[in-house]
Amino acid sequence: MSLNPQRTPLDNGAVLIYQRMPANPFVSFHGSIWAGAVTEEKKGVAEFAAQLLMSGTKTKKAARLSEAIESLGATLDFDNSQETMHFYGRCPRSMSRKLFEIIVDCLSNPTFPAAEVERVRGEIIDGLRMDMDNTTHRASKDLLESLYPNHLYGRDPRGEESDIMKVKRADIASFHSANYGPKGMMIALSGDVDRELVRRDIAPAVSEFDGDSEKPKVTTPGPAKKTKRIIAMPHKSQADIALGLRAVDRHHEDFYALSMVNLLFGRIGLYGRLGRNLRDEQGLAYYSYSSLEARPIAGHWNIIAGVNPGNVQKAVEGISKEIEKLHTSPLTKDEIADGMDNQVGALNVNLERNAEMAAELYRIEYFGLGLDYLKRFPSIVRSLTLSQIHGAAEKYIRAEDCSLAIAGPVPKDAEKSLKWP
Amino acid sequence: MVTVTKLDNGLKVVLKPIPEATAVSVWVGYHIGSRNEKPGMTGSTHWVEHMLFKGGGKLKKGDVDLLTSRVGGKNNGFTDTDFTAYFETMPAGHADTALFIEAEKMRNAAFDQKEFDSERTVVISEREGAENQPEFLTEEELWSLAFHIHPYHWLAIGWKQDLQNLDRDTMYRYYLRYYAPNNAALFVVGNFDQTATMRKVHELFDSFKPEKMPEPMTLKEPPQAGERRAVINKPGSVDHVEIGWHIPEFAHPDTPKLAMLSAVLGGWKGYNFFAQTGWRPRSNRLYKSLVERNLATDVSSRAEVKIDPGLFIVHAAVKTGASVEKVEGVLLDEIEKLKRKPPTKGEMDIGRTQIQAWAGFENDGVTFNGMMMTFFEMTGGFEKYDELMAAVGRVTPKDVQEVAGKYLTEDARTVVHFIAKEVKA
Repeated sequence: MSLNPQRTPLDNGAVLIYQRMPANPFVSFHGSIWAGAVTEEKKGVAEFAAQLLMSGTKTKKAARLSEAIESLGATLDFDNSQETMHFYGRCPRSMSRKLFEIIVDCLSNPTFPAAEVERVRGEIIDGLRMDMDNTTHRASKDLLESLYPNHLYGRDPRGEESDIMKVKRADIASFHSANYGPKGMMIALSGDVDRELVRRDIAPAVSEFDGDSEKPKVTTPGPAKKTKRIIAMPHKSQADIALGLRAVDRHHEDFYALSMVNLLFGRIGLYGRLGRNLRDEQGLAYYSYSSLEARPIAGHWNIIAGVNPGNVQKAVEGISKEIEKLHTSPLTKDEIADGMDNQVGALNVNLERNAEMAAELYRIEYFGLGLDYLKRFPSIVRSLTLSQIHGAAEKYIRAEDCSLAIAGPVPKDAEKSLKWP
Repeated sequence: MVTVTKLDNGLKVVLKPIPEATAVSVWVGYHIGSRNEKPGMTGSTHWVEHMLFKGGGKLKKGDVDLLTSRVGGKNNGFTDTDFTAYFETMPAGHADTALFIEAEKMRNAAFDQKEFDSERTVVISEREGAENQPEFLTEEELWSLAFHIHPYHWLAIGWKQDLQNLDRDTMYRYYLRYYAPNNAALFVVGNFDQTATMRKVHELFDSFKPEKMPEPMTLKEPPQAGERRAVINKPGSVDHVEIGWHIPEFAHPDTPKLAMLSAVLGGWKGYNFFAQTGWRPRSNRLYKSLVERNLATDVSSRAEVKIDPGLFIVHAAVKTGASVEKVEGVLLDEIEKLKRKPPTKGEMDIGRTQIQAWAGFENDGVTFNGMMMTFFEMTGGFEKYDELMAAVGRVTPKDVQEVAGKYLTEDARTVVHFIAKEVKA
């Protein structure tokens, strides 16, 4: 299979990007419009709009919409995020046109029935409550709030329960009218898709999408506020530890070097150096991994570990020591060579499914990386130098700057005794 | 074109070339799961799975990950009630490395005492992470209540008390006894050279001696003679209702009918959990009667694919303000309606279309292809999946009505309520 993604801009401002995957005979897609939480004036409205898109259109009630989608042998989800409203799904090739006509109908003509607004209100609130009872979510939420104080990136794009209670049907309708449009719409497709399918079936359907939309401007977040918090959840069996600090945005010159540090520190194999320490040697955690989240204008690096409440201090010390070791025993040439081989080889493995390829093509378009990005990627990785990688570890990964949040059956007063740099 | 070979030592080798693929996936499944465990040693099959990543023979500790990840590959292992499976997915051209790893795992795992000890807390941590989820607690209660005799009484993770007490030697004997070529099947799927790969398989696996096969399952769950109920009262955010009914084993001719029953009742999300994404089917009866009517936020149904008779399960996350009793009542009403009147042609068409479309979605790529072939091989034969998909096409509305009446009876059902108590600040 040759990696040769194609890009088709449409007159209405939408862009289609696609790659044929002949081994997987159906179409997978991942798209978005600029209608995420950043565009809302009232918190929670973007979430409501996304959740109500399948609740009925001017020509089809909710039940008919579901039946129409499912009778095509298709799946379709709409999902709100900080910057965009995503949609993704799958369908047989022969049903692509009909499915994209339905998607455009949902995006263009939702009716937001009053009864559905109330039903969805309850669903969103229950979803928020379920997450508030989840240790991983609670620790991560707290960490993000400290990394991006009072900023979009630091809050749940769904809003809080109190926000959801205040949203009215009219807010949703006017949000939709102001923000749902094809300008800047991106749709990535992979699988049984080619130029002919795009030209004949998908482009004509998507071209029917009309409406107002503008790429929103996200303000640059202020500095992180270092915190150390315990969220006591005495009814749980395990505690989740989340810690992290602000790092780089996706376009920063250190992004690839820091990605390599992150891979070797907390991802490769069974969670890299961190996993070797916490899981393999100390047996403290079933999972303990790091992530680099680089967004268009900011980013952060974080660690998540699930541990027995009695081992929290030990795990925190283990994490701290492992971070320290990045500086006292920097990543070796051999480790880095393995990391480079991993990143290059993984192109063939991590993009072997339609859904994975569609998601990657979407990222390429979203970040403006260029159609040749997948071809250039190996040379980008191979050209990293030891000093760039050590420099990134030195500059960005510092335990003393990390915020720490622990959620689980740990007493709140342990906050004072918990040792952290 | 799939080729099947049986080595002299009993190892079944299945090659499925997909020349257009960019990767190759190697899977080994063992006919050993938590159904083969005895009380007191629950969770041991899963723990053995963990130990196979800890080195032995020509593999040092960490080598499984190192050899896989340095070329960009991925690996993992899964333990089910009925089987254990391992895989490596590698860039095309690296099938030999995966075969080498799997050959070493099959007979040469070290079970070093120190490694065994440190893994105890990891396995317990995995269980404790699951215990944080109300859905896990509900599911565990359901199976333990529905099965009194058969080992489906416990989940593959095992009871915590057993995990605290299991010893290395027992587990090592268990490994040697069951990780044998005649108790396994090897799948290679994707972009690879068939002749060279088969040569490598012979080179790596031919010398392994067969062992005595696992004892046939003698424990048979007696018919349930009355509804069973349990309530879990724990702090949480929302209530859950889960109901299970006894259904026959996967090989039974009613399996395609039960698949269609599940699609009509709660929608279809395939057999491959990892292919599910966040998709919510909405044209099914439970969604319409519970979610659309503000009684639940999420519903699902599934007919478990098991070697031995298993369960047909429906689940509802109860919406705040609704009661578990009301949700249970509506749910049971929907089942009674299906017993009285067969589903419509429209419902059947959607159910069938979804099941057959999902056959593509859940086989997306070489990893999922290998996974599905292994899972079905371990449950009755990898070719049975295609037979099942074809049989779904022949299921009639009357068939669906008939299996609803035959299996979803009051006496054969087990009901679990998870009641979310207010979390103390």
